[in-house]
Amino acid sequence: MFQQIFAFIIILFFLVRLFWQKKKENIDSREFVFWLFFWLGSGLVVVFIKKMDNLVAELGFSSAGIDVLFYLSILLLFSLVFRLRIRQEKIDREITKIIREIAISNKQNER
Amino acid sequence: MKIFCIIPAFNEEKNIGPVVSEVKKYVDQVVVVDDGSVDQTVNVSLLNGAVVLKHIVNRGQGAALETGNVYALRSGADIVVHFDADGQFVANEIQDVVRPINSDECDIVFGSRFMNKKSNLPLVKEKIIIPLAHVINKLLIGKTLTDPQNGFRAMNRQALSVIKINQRGMAHCSEIIYKAFKNRLRIKEIPVTVIYNDFGQSFGGGVKIIKDLLISKLID
Repeated sequence: MFQQIFAFIIILFFLVRLFWQKKKENIDSREFVFWLFFWLGSGLVVVFIKKMDNLVAELGFSSAGIDVLFYLSILLLFSLVFRLRIRQEKIDREITKIIREIAISNKQNER
Repeated sequence: MKIFCIIPAFNEEKNIGPVVSEVKKYVDQVVVVDDGSVDQTVNVSLLNGAVVLKHIVNRGQGAALETGNVYALRSGADIVVHFDADGQFVANEIQDVVRPINSDECDIVFGSRFMNKKSNLPLVKEKIIIPLAHVINKLLIGKTLTDPQNGFRAMNRQALSVIKINQRGMAHCSEIIYKAFKNRLRIKEIPVTVIYNDFGQSFGGGVKIIKDLLISKLID
């Protein structure tokens, strides 16, 4: 019970932060909806944690529901880091294009 | 035929002057792309007769070459030569590299240290880094040349318009080879001399090239 309350507090903290970021217009609607569903879904999983054990057992996993969630969250983290890396690379290329155009338009001729 | 020589330079105030003066004898325009240097590279290049394009922040050798390529295309160059700023290439060999393009034998010419001419290649580079580069090129881009990491090359307008360098670091050598084959350009290798002032590409640099090539495989 204590662990569940603790998990709820953490989820609540991130939900408040999410709404705060949205209010400040730091994130777009698509990203807001994604994280809203993510944290609400996490809350549901915490509420039905016992049922998760049964579900995981029915699916044929030998570990407890919380362990499977842990593995899934690591997978999710990896995919998010990967997406960020790809996005960073694309932004990097855009910056290079801008620097290139500035360099060409400010061409300096021989003295 | 209007020949432009593109020289990417980063903090090369000591070497760039003699390089520009020598290269100028063999081409119509020397274009130094200063990649965010904090020394006198720009001034020295201008005083020696080069046109200078300055990156306001450092973007890497590949990015600097592409800046030169874009500028050359827009300025009506017929042939573009890539040349290093550190004085490791021999300027009069520009004639050898350009000749097969002038006579319409090929679209792109790559310089090679491993043909007739003898370069004083460091042992680690000869025995480990270059063979490794061959394996990586074969695995990642499916093609390789006798010298996969040579920065001395020339290309005509057709090659220039289809080869867009996205690799802003040192992986651009492999990228150019890949795009030359992919676009079915007529390719030729020419022996060139390389004078080693220092070691050049480090092992860590080699690892970065592999990482950059892998990421670009996922993006492009």
